[in-house]
Amino acid sequence: MAARRSGLPLMKYLRVQVDSLPLNYQSPLRLFPNPFLRRFSDEVRGTFLDKSEVTDRVISCVKSFQKVDPSKVTPSANFQSDLGLDSLDAVEVVMALEEEFGFEIPDNEADKINSINVAVDFIASHPQAK
Amino acid sequence: MGSSRGQRLSGMQKQVLSLYRGFLRASRSKSEEERRKIETVVSEEFRRNSKEVDRNNFVYIEYLLRRGNKQLDQLRNPGTTGLSSLRIDFSNINTGSSSHS
Repeated sequence: MAARRSGLPLMKYLRVQVDSLPLNYQSPLRLFPNPFLRRFSDEVRGTFLDKSEVTDRVISCVKSFQKVDPSKVTPSANFQSDLGLDSLDAVEVVMALEEEFGFEIPDNEADKINSINVAVDFIASHPQAK
Repeated sequence: MGSSRGQRLSGMQKQVLSLYRGFLRASRSKSEEERRKIETVVSEEFRRNSKEVDRNNFVYIEYLLRRGNKQLDQLRNPGTTGLSSLRIDFSNINTGSSSHS
């Protein structure tokens, strides 16, 4: 819109000649596959962890937390009502989970994690979790 | 901050928690024993204020937030290796906590 108002013949420069590729064309990347490029793209995409594994690791992580009674930790336990943690404790638990799974949880997501269930769901759906 | 049962956090509570998170993150970059010290000092300070400060005293909480963010900036500096706290008790007036390089 701005370009049109200022009267620049912008479209003229954006016109690109497009030729269809010959049928027998092969990408140079196919002839020389780059193993590093592939590994890098896999790394960035990440992989999803198995949910039961995440549950086990989250539970053992929360159990090792000082203020928590390990016998009360169940897969559906709520940090505040079941484990008796206040919001500062919840921050500490989420930070410990961050370190356990090796990725950073942004503030707005971390504020929502108030039970083991939510934590497991979030981590299992996060590709960067290790 | 004591009665946030319903997990509905006010904007100010979010700021406090985010500041706390920032301190815990910054402490990761320090040496192992300093890290433990920092975590103890910071968590004591937050807990003490969460009990002593009236939750409706917005002006004071805002002042604490500003002071905390400034201290966090100092702590994030790689030259800062640790944090020490000073607590003076003048008949129920508790103040103090300072960081140094």
